[in-house]
Amino acid sequence: MSSTNMKRYFRGRIDARLLLVLLFAAMPLLASTARIYVANRGGTTIDVIDSATNKVVEVIKGIESPEVIRFSPDGSRLYITSRSEDVLDVRDRKSGKTIKKVPLSGWANDAGVTSDGKLIVVCIRNTGTEAVDAGALDIIDSKSLEKVKSIPVRRGLHDVALTGDGKFAAAGSPGGQFITVFDLQKMEIAWEVQYDQGVLPVIIESNPDGSGHRIFANLNKTNGFSVVDFATHKEVARIKNPDEPSGFPPGCEGISHGINIAPDHKSLWTNSRPANAVFVYSLPDLKLLGHVSLPETEVPGKAPRGGGPAWITFTPDSKTVYVSTCGTKSITAIDVQAIKEVTRIPVHEMPDRISTLELP
Amino acid sequence: MISRILPKIISAGFALAAAVSLCVFAPFVTAQNSGSPDAQGPQLDYEYFKTRVEPIFLKKRSDEHARCYVCHQVMRHGGGPLSLDMLPAGANFWTEEQSRRNFETVSKLVVPGNPDLSLFLRMPLAPEAGGLADTLQGGRRFASQDDPDWKNMKAWVLGEKPK
Repeated sequence: MSSTNMKRYFRGRIDARLLLVLLFAAMPLLASTARIYVANRGGTTIDVIDSATNKVVEVIKGIESPEVIRFSPDGSRLYITSRSEDVLDVRDRKSGKTIKKVPLSGWANDAGVTSDGKLIVVCIRNTGTEAVDAGALDIIDSKSLEKVKSIPVRRGLHDVALTGDGKFAAAGSPGGQFITVFDLQKMEIAWEVQYDQGVLPVIIESNPDGSGHRIFANLNKTNGFSVVDFATHKEVARIKNPDEPSGFPPGCEGISHGINIAPDHKSLWTNSRPANAVFVYSLPDLKLLGHVSLPETEVPGKAPRGGGPAWITFTPDSKTVYVSTCGTKSITAIDVQAIKEVTRIPVHEMPDRISTLELP
Repeated sequence: MISRILPKIISAGFALAAAVSLCVFAPFVTAQNSGSPDAQGPQLDYEYFKTRVEPIFLKKRSDEHARCYVCHQVMRHGGGPLSLDMLPAGANFWTEEQSRRNFETVSKLVVPGNPDLSLFLRMPLAPEAGGLADTLQGGRRFASQDDPDWKNMKAWVLGEKPK
């Protein structure tokens, strides 16, 4: 081989290697299409996890006791509620600057955004100043950033879910023991389901056309969840989680607190505090597929306690599910297909609601 | 399985302690505070509470923690055991009447002279330091028993008076 050919040969090798290096370097960027936003309710921060690396890549500071973070469909805006101010804090995601603080009817809990991005709905846990709460669903126009309607309900609202077509929202009341379904086009209450126990997180399973099919709801005295038929407005089943594992204290807010559906609509995941685990059910038939034990709180010299599993979110490709455990200050990443823990991500004080932003 | 049963026992113990503190010791505390001649042992001092303990509820202690009051004001706490009076509009501290009510509320979570049985001290303390803060929605408010604010709270539980 002549020296010229050798140079060409090695240059070719180097170019190929360089290309490979660049490709490998670019892979996390290509895969990095989602961020998991963690509301650290006991603290003043929001942690942002890169789902490609499962590392915290940003900490948003200075929001005392954040409740939830939601997003505009294009990912340009954050919608944040907190316990410290009765406002919807609308922020530009990239700059982090507040665009507007929209006054709300009271203490805000969960929020949701319609699929077209036009409306933001906010659960109001208490519109008054008394211990016995009075609730409402506040509706904010995302264009004018004005509250266009506040629909009062008997008791405070905790969590909300929307149908895929954005026409209905379902919100649960712990104190009132009901689910209220709101018609977002008429901006009024459509129907209600009354329970014998408090309603915690809820999620809606939508039909392929985006209309509501079923509501799944955690109840504060049930180790499992309730199933409501959207068409008949009736509870049609109450699914109980397996008795084992068991032995952990139920926690302060309820026995099962956290439920969500994978974006591919193939599985439903719900937490259990007595089991300190998350259980997986197939959809649409609701057959148990397995469970993953969650982190325990280590107590020096004593038996560990349950970590207090809370909310659940997924990557948009349905490959990874994330569960917050408030007592351990961590988020557990789980492989959906394998039903196995991938890693635990340390975050700040009392991680609660977690939500996924699909980056454009 | 033992490790699963023990937390139950521990929880039951704490629940019992809470019940005992609420059902048995609360009247005892009230009797002490009302100046009952039968009162024995440490007494909870209102002035110490107002000047050294109550301000902690409003204090921004670090960037890591929300203020206690954010979650424990009555309209956000649903009548839970440590529901503090709402601050008057525009005010940065409670009125005398409100502080008296807060004193009564917090006293129900205390066994005077016994920090170990006082949920008021145990609940915000990190589990690594002997507390139950992992079960508290506000999280680990105090990392250790050496925290100056926690020590003030403990001193109040032990019956200390303003100097």
